[in-house]
Amino acid sequence: MTTHTATLPAPAKVKAANGIHIGGLLGYGAIWAFMIVFLIYPLLHLFYDAFTTDAGEFTLSNFQDFFTDRYYLKSLLNSLLLGVGTVITTSIIGITFAFLLLRYEFPGRGLFSYLSIVPMIMPPLVGVMGFVFILGRAGTVNVILMDYLGFTKPINFMYGIQGVLIVETLHLFPLMTLSIVDAMGKISPSLDEAAESVGSRGLRKFWDITFPLTTPGYVSGALLVFIWTFADFATPLVVGVDDLLASQAYLNIVQFVDRRLFKMGIVISAIMVILAILFLIVAKKYVAIKDYSSLSYSVIERKQIGPGAKVGVVLFLGLIIILAFIPYLGIALDSFGKGWALTPIPVKYTLQYFERVAFETPKFIINSLLYAGISVLICIVVGVPLAWVGARTKLPGREFLDSMTTLILALPGTGIGIAYMRAFREPLPYVDVAFIGMWMVIPVVLGVRRLPYTVRGTFASLQIVHKSFEEAGESVGATKMTTFKDITLPLIWKGVLVGSLYSFILALQEASATLLLVVPGHEMMTVGIFNFYIGGSVNEAAALGLILIVLGAACLFIINRVAGTKMGGVFG
Amino acid sequence: MKRAVALFGLFTFVLLGAWSLSFAQAPAIENELYLITPVSKDVHDPMLKAFAAWAKKKYNVDVKTSAIPKGTPVAYGQILEWRGKPQADVFWGGEGTLFDNLAAEGLLEQIQLPKAAWDEIPASIGTPVPLPMKDPKKFWVGTTLEPYGIIYQPKLLKRLGVEIKTWDDLLNPKLKGQIAQCTPDRSSSSHASYEVVLQTYGWEKGWEWLTKLAANTGIFSARSRDVPSVVAKGEFAVGFAVPSYMAFAEVLGGYDVNFVYPKNAYVTPEPMAVLKGAPHTKAGHAFIEFCLSEEGQLLLSGLGVYPITPKFKVKGPEGSNQEKAVAFTGGMRSFFDTEIGNVYDDKIAGEKKRIEDVNSYFRKEIAEKHKDIVK
Repeated sequence: MTTHTATLPAPAKVKAANGIHIGGLLGYGAIWAFMIVFLIYPLLHLFYDAFTTDAGEFTLSNFQDFFTDRYYLKSLLNSLLLGVGTVITTSIIGITFAFLLLRYEFPGRGLFSYLSIVPMIMPPLVGVMGFVFILGRAGTVNVILMDYLGFTKPINFMYGIQGVLIVETLHLFPLMTLSIVDAMGKISPSLDEAAESVGSRGLRKFWDITFPLTTPGYVSGALLVFIWTFADFATPLVVGVDDLLASQAYLNIVQFVDRRLFKMGIVISAIMVILAILFLIVAKKYVAIKDYSSLSYSVIERKQIGPGAKVGVVLFLGLIIILAFIPYLGIALDSFGKGWALTPIPVKYTLQYFERVAFETPKFIINSLLYAGISVLICIVVGVPLAWVGARTKLPGREFLDSMTTLILALPGTGIGIAYMRAFREPLPYVDVAFIGMWMVIPVVLGVRRLPYTVRGTFASLQIVHKSFEEAGESVGATKMTTFKDITLPLIWKGVLVGSLYSFILALQEASATLLLVVPGHEMMTVGIFNFYIGGSVNEAAALGLILIVLGAACLFIINRVAGTKMGGVFG
Repeated sequence: MKRAVALFGLFTFVLLGAWSLSFAQAPAIENELYLITPVSKDVHDPMLKAFAAWAKKKYNVDVKTSAIPKGTPVAYGQILEWRGKPQADVFWGGEGTLFDNLAAEGLLEQIQLPKAAWDEIPASIGTPVPLPMKDPKKFWVGTTLEPYGIIYQPKLLKRLGVEIKTWDDLLNPKLKGQIAQCTPDRSSSSHASYEVVLQTYGWEKGWEWLTKLAANTGIFSARSRDVPSVVAKGEFAVGFAVPSYMAFAEVLGGYDVNFVYPKNAYVTPEPMAVLKGAPHTKAGHAFIEFCLSEEGQLLLSGLGVYPITPKFKVKGPEGSNQEKAVAFTGGMRSFFDTEIGNVYDDKIAGEKKRIEDVNSYFRKEIAEKHKDIVK
């Protein structure tokens, strides 16, 4: 083993580049191999499929078909508008939340700060189901309006694009809050003081200090919200909205009868991936180019506000939280209620649905925990070294790896799922089974999709641990390994843990790639929810959904305990 | 000491038992079975469970069963996509024509039923157009009968002041926004019912009718099974092209819904076939045998579908699910007791080009213009 002691006062850069020994390089190669096989190759395959005919000849006609079809173009426009709309609504709610939580002191602040992240715990499909139970045409609200308040017609909250907007907004505003809280938390109070000492106050200070420093956080939050909405197909399907890009991709792919439509599904997925890359390039200008690391999160001084303002703030936050918790209420009621129709709440209650999903068919829960667990191991094994390489070395190609990780965040799950379906369908040598026929494909695709959270969590912690700490260690003769073990690791384990837990929660909730790749006999909870739902067993779907929500909330609680609310950085 | 001896004895006994078992005959069927099916959980779940018990009795094998629920067109496409290396053993449900196509592609195994069991199933049903109930080339066999009809929520219909007895009642302007249906390209029950309308009225008039239906439609659901769900919940008042058993499943689930079997509604024999090259073909053939056995047919008749042969009737003790199902569908006990009207000609409807024509007409003229049609 070659060791580099700091006998020579070489600049840190050079040391880092030379300080990698053979084993390290092999490890670096392994990370590359993983990314090439499980991310780059499938995506290239998807593009190959989109640019060729079934016979394998190059063609642009698929794209011509897309861009000359008025319906597809309308879907594209609708998707973009919906994405922008959701970014606007989540910004209004999310930023207000972040400011109030960070800057002001009011009763229940701690509770609100926890509750404001909870709405993220909402598996696809479950959220919209819950909303429909409460706000649907026969939901609690409309039943009360019609039976008790004399309305003759139900108010249409849900069926249409407005329903999708409601669901996405109340599900995703926490991403925005987290990003802003994280970004603002990193602004050193000394900057504020410096600004004030030269007479910059109020709007001026906001414009000069707060705004530029929070922009990267905001942009990455906005990008995430946008892509999430852009790629979601479950929500629109439930409320009968088909003219969105993700819905069209999903619907065209899951019907195999018409080969031309199937091809269009692939093409639409490819277009979504291309768009995601474009959005990322645009946003990249703001995301992750400046080094905002400081030695610690700053402590922001919170202002006291008058009693009237306190009441206002609590009422506002309370209202949003209540709205955001509507789906939990709906899901809980439906998972216990039997034959619930046209009454405000169920009239008969039963435990039979839980019995069915938890005891008769426990495979969903077991598979979910197992696969999400394996995927987190993948995330850690690949992601922690990857983050370290990005934060501490100048190895060639690390920037590309970093872009790849960020790209994963932006990739629509449907796109990855379809890319895997196409790329891994040939039987493997020796075993004679295609990779998409083995259950391992599920943890792998989950690991890839959730990798960024582990990487970001680790990376963010590494940034907070200023290099000077490690340099100090090395300057007194510690090797890189010792430094990592004695200085870095104790300081970043929280970040790794939190990042991994986020990876875990989100792996549990994944239901776009896994829905397309499901291997018979190895279904996860989200697939179970989908299967129960489309199989007409809505109550069972709700029961399974509730279990998944509780699992997610438990993980979130642990995260909260470990890290407070300071871990928004994983979503950048 | 005594305990040690006893333990040792027990241990040897268990070991010997395990050893002798391993020398016992190789089991007649595999210990796993995977379905790919549009037949909803309401029916496939109990059938798979009962099959596992039946296989344990008959072959002394613990069969692990699982189903991949997919709409008919999707399941069909998935099987094509598997290209002879399927991940499921048995394809169950939908229309015979798609099974014929799969057989032509060489993706199905011939049915291995005893001759007597095969011959018991009538070749076709319905007048004036006969609808095949099994494949003369033996690549698929019908398992059970049920109509694709109309489901409604009685409380909501009463509130709207509408009654539904025939297809045409669906065009009542009072039902604006109240109808739920799945699209014909996602659901074979919808597709078949569109064909019934098109073959009754002819292409042009038929589409006129279907456009009026679209004008009353509040939602095109993602899957056909969603249609009875949203009607049972009261989200929409009426559902179009719903298999009777799905409506009945909602009743068993505690919901208040009614079902109408209109004239000339499509009757499906829910075909079943074993996929060629499947991992567990023997278990697949055993499952078909089970479904057509008296035990299987009796179980099915309690789930809101009808026996495939005249030999069995839907009948059970008072208060049984069988009797509830009979009451639900208006007193019918067998499809062979009455004349079954059918205008659906599978020679017309089954053509690949025709299927694509219907789907693309629907997409261009109804789905893409739905917002304008509703206005």
